[in-house]
This record gives sequence, C-alpha cells and structure tokens, in this order.
Amino acid sequence: MSLQGNLGENSRLPVTPLLKALRYILSISKSAAWRRPDLLLNSAAIRDLRARQIADPVEKLRYLRQTSPRSTTRGPARKIHLANARQYLTACGLLLCLLTPSPIPSSTRDISAHERRLVGATTEAFPKVWAVEQARDYESYSNGLRIETGLRVSNRARRPFPIYVTGQAAGFGSSPTGIVFHTTESHLAPFEAEENTQLKRVARSVIDAVRKNQSYHYLIDRFGRVFRIVEEGDVAFHAGWSIWADGQGAYVNLNESFLGVAFEAQTEGGLDKIQPAQIHAAQVLTEMLRSRYRIPGANCVTHAQVSINEKTFRIGYHTDWAGNFPFRELGLPDNYALPVSSLAEFGFEYDSVFVRVMGNRLWPGIGAAEARLREHSTANGMPAAKWKAILQQRFRTIANQIINPSPAGQQANAFQGESNVSTR
Amino acid sequence: MSAPANAIGLDVGTSRIVRAQQNGSDFEFESQLNAFVTIPYSKLTANVLSKEGVPHTIQGAEIVVHGNESEKFADLLNAETRRTMTCGVLDAKEPESLTQMRSILTSLLGEGKGRKLVFTVPAAPIGHEENSTYHEATLKQIFGDMGFAAKSINEGLAVVYGEMEATNFTGIGVSCGGGLCNVCLSYLAVPVISFSIAKAGDYIDTSAAQVTGERANRIRIAKEDAFHFNGFFADKTQQVISVYYDDMIRSLVAALKDAFATTRNMPKLNRPIPLVLSGGTAIPQGFRDRFEKILAEAQFPVPLSEIRMSANPLHTTAKGALVAALSD
Repeated sequence: MSLQGNLGENSRLPVTPLLKALRYILSISKSAAWRRPDLLLNSAAIRDLRARQIADPVEKLRYLRQTSPRSTTRGPARKIHLANARQYLTACGLLLCLLTPSPIPSSTRDISAHERRLVGATTEAFPKVWAVEQARDYESYSNGLRIETGLRVSNRARRPFPIYVTGQAAGFGSSPTGIVFHTTESHLAPFEAEENTQLKRVARSVIDAVRKNQSYHYLIDRFGRVFRIVEEGDVAFHAGWSIWADGQGAYVNLNESFLGVAFEAQTEGGLDKIQPAQIHAAQVLTEMLRSRYRIPGANCVTHAQVSINEKTFRIGYHTDWAGNFPFRELGLPDNYALPVSSLAEFGFEYDSVFVRVMGNRLWPGIGAAEARLREHSTANGMPAAKWKAILQQRFRTIANQIINPSPAGQQANAFQGESNVSTR
Repeated sequence: MSAPANAIGLDVGTSRIVRAQQNGSDFEFESQLNAFVTIPYSKLTANVLSKEGVPHTIQGAEIVVHGNESEKFADLLNAETRRTMTCGVLDAKEPESLTQMRSILTSLLGEGKGRKLVFTVPAAPIGHEENSTYHEATLKQIFGDMGFAAKSINEGLAVVYGEMEATNFTGIGVSCGGGLCNVCLSYLAVPVISFSIAKAGDYIDTSAAQVTGERANRIRIAKEDAFHFNGFFADKTQQVISVYYDDMIRSLVAALKDAFATTRNMPKLNRPIPLVLSGGTAIPQGFRDRFEKILAEAQFPVPLSEIRMSANPLHTTAKGALVAALSD
C-alpha cells in the first residue's frame, strides 16, 4: 500500500481574492508576532480549508491535531499585545467575511468541551428532564423539581480540569462530570410543627453561611426546598482535597469537576434525621443534573467516598455520608460498592477511625479497591507495598503541581475552601 | 515525510494484534492471533516446536503456544484457544492473560529501543461500563518495559485516521472486531462521539456454537472461510451465523442511531459525512449492503455521503494508529 498515493508537494492556493485574504490571515497566524494563533487556527472553517491544501495524510493530521481546540486548554493564555491589535482586528474582520456562510459546526469549542463527556456517554441511559419555567427567583423542571434561585451567588468560573491516567494528565474536561453529596453538619432543630419558625431560621442561617463561603452548588433544606447557592458554571468550594475516578481517568480536586449538593443534615443522625422531602428533592435534582450534564450514575458519590488527607495518605478526611446514603432512593446504583478511587488509583489507606464512622461495616468498595490494587501490583510484577508506594508518588507529583502551579495550570484557588459549615 | 520512519501503529484487538510500520513510502503489516493454547509438556514436543520456529513458552508441565500457531494446535487437539482479552480489554479472569500478551507482543514487535508506538484502545462498551483504565495502563506498562514510547488511540478514531484523509478526518469510523464493535464520529480529527457495543465476532461465534453444538473455533473458521450474505444458505451453520450477524448489525445500528439522536451538542454538519466499515467481522461479502439496508430502515439521523468498506478491513485500524504515531 502506498503511503504517497495521492501525495505530493503541498499545492498552493489558487489566487482569488477570498483565498488571498485567507492566505494573509494564515501568514499572520504563523508569524511569531501573532500572539494568539489559537484564535485563528481554531476556527474550524480555516482549519478545514487549510487542511484541504495538504496532500500528505500524515502532515494533514499533524496540522489538524496541532490546531485542534483541545490544544488551547493546555497552554497558558497569552495576552494580545497592543502592537498587534490592528493585525488582530483586520484578521477578525476578514474572518467574519469568510465565516458568514460557513458550512461549519456552530462551535468547535463546543466539540472540545463536550468531547470527554461524549466519549462513552451514550453507554448509559440518562434521564430526560427539561426546564419548564425560568422566573427571576425560581426555576421549575419537567420532573417536578423547583429550584429557588433568588439567593444564588457567583464565584470564579470553572476551569478546564485535568483527567489523570497513570498519574499524568491525559486530557482535560470542562463541564461537570459528577456530583458529590454532602451534609452541612449544622444545628438541627426538632422537626415538629411548633418548631417551624426555628426550623426556617436555622435553614436561613445555613444558607447565609454557605453563600458566604460559596460552599455548594445546591443546598436542600429540611423542608426539601432546593436552593441554588453557587452558579453551576462556577466553582464551589465543596470537596477540598478529593479524588474520584471513572472510565476516563482520575479526577483530583473535585471542586472543578464535580457539582456539590448538600443536605441540611448531620452525619451522626443518619437517615433518621433526613426528611422524606429532602430525599425526594435530591432525587429530582440529581435527575435534572444528570440529564443536563450526562453525568454517569457511578460519578454520583458522597463526600466521605472522595475526601482524603493528602498529608497522611488516609481517606475520609471528611466523613459526611460515610454510610447510609440513600443511593437507591435517588435512582442511583449503590456506589458504596464501587472501588474507592483514592485507594485503588493512588495508594491511600483507611484507619480504624474511618471504619468506626462507617458504622464498623466496610463498604464493599474498600474491598474492591484493595482487590484492584493487588491485581495491578501483580500485573506489574511487584509486591503490593511497592506498587502502593509508586501510586502514592504519582499523587505527590500531582499534589505538588496543584500546590505550586505552573502559570499554565493555576488551580490552587480551588483549594482555598473546604466544604462543611461547621469545622470538625 | 518528516516523521520518524520507525514509528509503529498497533491494533490491539480481542482476536488479533496487527502491527503497522512504514517501509519507505509503503505501509507494512504483520499480525498475530491474540490467543494461546496449552499442550502437555514433553521434551520431544518442545524440540519439534523449537525446530519449526513455533512461538511457545514452557510453563511447568505445559507448553504454551501463542499467536498464529495456537489455532492450528487447538484444532489439532480439539481444544478451544484461550484469549488474553475479552470484550476489547484484558481478561481479568484469564490467569495467563498478561504473560501471554507480553509474549505475543514481544514476538510481534521485538525490542522498543525508544521507538514511538501508538496502540488502539476501545471506547466504553454499552452495558459494560467497567473501568478500562486498567487495560490501557497495563498495556502502556508492558510497552514501556519493552522500551517503547507508547500512546493510545481510540479504535474508532484510528479507523477515521486510516481511511478519511480525503474528508480531513471527518466522518464515522466503525471497526467490527472480535470482542467489540467500536464507533467514532470525528470532526476535523477531533473525536466527538465514541462508543462500542459488546456484540461482535465472538458473540456470533459463541451464539452460533451454542445453537449448532459446534466449537466456537470451528464456527469462526467456517465464518471466515465461507460465509457471505446472499439470503441462501447451504447448511445450518451458515444459516445460524447469518441470524447472529443480523442481530449484531441491528444492535450496532440501534446503538448508532441512539447515540447520534440523543447526543447534545452534535456539531452542525452542513454536508454529508462518510461512514467507513472495517475490522475482520465486516469482511464477509454483502456485509456493507446488509448494514446499509438496516441503517436505512432505522432512519439514521445524520446524512451520510457514502457507506463503504475500508480498503483493507484487517489493517485499517493499525494503519490509523501508525498515521497518528507519525503525525505526533
């Protein structure tokens, strides 16, 4: 089979006014003075046209991959120098002319943003929920969900987050890929009719606290009312040091990659202290979020499952929902059975304190994680302890990158807050 | 071409492992069956195998023959071959999986010496969402041990890279292999939708074997040697194979339709895109026509410019992986 087939020297563009303009833009885009080549090269129209002029399939693929929108998430954003502003505006104008009748997808950025979500996303049936009404202070949805939006606050926008495979960033995601469920650990008044005023007052004080700390995306109070606290597109400081993994890879720092949903509740109280209205609200909220972001059921987990102490390599730094989370009632699989990612992927450990918090009953996921660890160590031909040390070193490398971010990957902000209202 | 000439593209399939390498301006391919069979050890047998150059290893009281020769021995001994992989990923239940995979890869690739290697991995199979990270990480580890600088590529995307340079790597690549059918929609070389279904060649073989009482090995040989879609079958085996082929194609088309119809943020494709079929399970004569007919019945939501077979269905994925390696 000939690789050259229809190969040859890259043919030059025919001289037409349109293509002259295109060539001009491309010449600018290639020049060293041009500070934002991604702005031009990431235009699908330009990339498509230019790639068509490249006969060699390998060169063509190299060009398309190098200029794909994905690459824009990796490098540091660079400022446009004023000296190049005129070139920039000229090029933008020409681009507009070129792109007006464009037979191109609406946004290649969309492709990039959703690529990771779509890979394998169709392997699971997702609920179908749509917005019925969006008023100034509330939203209602087709599954009966009502969200109070009048008290929402903004935070910084969610940044592309790395997805780690074998300890290295193998790709980046940008839309929420999971949900972490929390408890607020706040004071709970008796759930009695005569305590109604007190119940409402406590709920309001919790809301004020979590708004101030931008702690969660959603809070479900004891009456089952759902409050949007932080905008979904923004980061909420709910997970702190945390790890979860799915078929795509591992996520470290779930503030960027997962949504935070808190029940006004206490871990110690268990399910007895959770009101049926809260469970129903959580079920319809989860359904809506899974529908909106195509979130796999296996990525809907509790804070205790993901929380870690990065210094001691112990899991369960936070212990909210360490047991008794009503996965089934929320329409989710029993995710306590899933391998605990921090154990399996990064060699973390658990201690007797955590076992006690779990109610002296280990999740099946702990055993599954340990089995996976053993399997991997065998596959790599080394004792489990040595394999665990390698995994821990992988985590240390990632943690160092997070603590001392390069200009390209400043994620430290995501760690400035923890999740719960009360400090334990 | 400026890319290094010693790069390797590797299609790591459930059934076969295919290596693609550049030789001057040509691509060269070599494949090994991703299977092995164990036979009782005797010094005489071991000597004969060594003399005949049959790849094997001795493990205690057994000789393990792997790769292409394993099928002949299995047929000879009336035994089933064992596989290192199932449903597109390393078989966790097969104790010899890693050892034999390493042996097969070593006999196919030799030493890495720092060469670039791109190998295929499946997308998450519908209904089998278990973590495929282990598969990918383990293979990467093996390649690393062998001295390769290894990267992975989605199998469906490799079909696009191998076949669709004319459309700037925009289109739908379908690879029908042994364990899985992999699908990828790529737009300008960027994968947009990828998935796989766990119905493929092995499903046809095992299902047909159950019905006919034959061994799956024999069904596979019958399928590869003589099966074609023409509506008339001389024997029961061929008729049963056709039933399960039909079932597989219908499942694939249903998954395709569902994936493309339910996906949000589908790029607005203002021109029809091609769909290319590849893989050993797509080889039988009439497969393309049958697929096209069922796809038309299903009213597939994306306009297609053509549905065609890849130029070389057994080598397309490896070729795509090589193109990716060369362009890296």
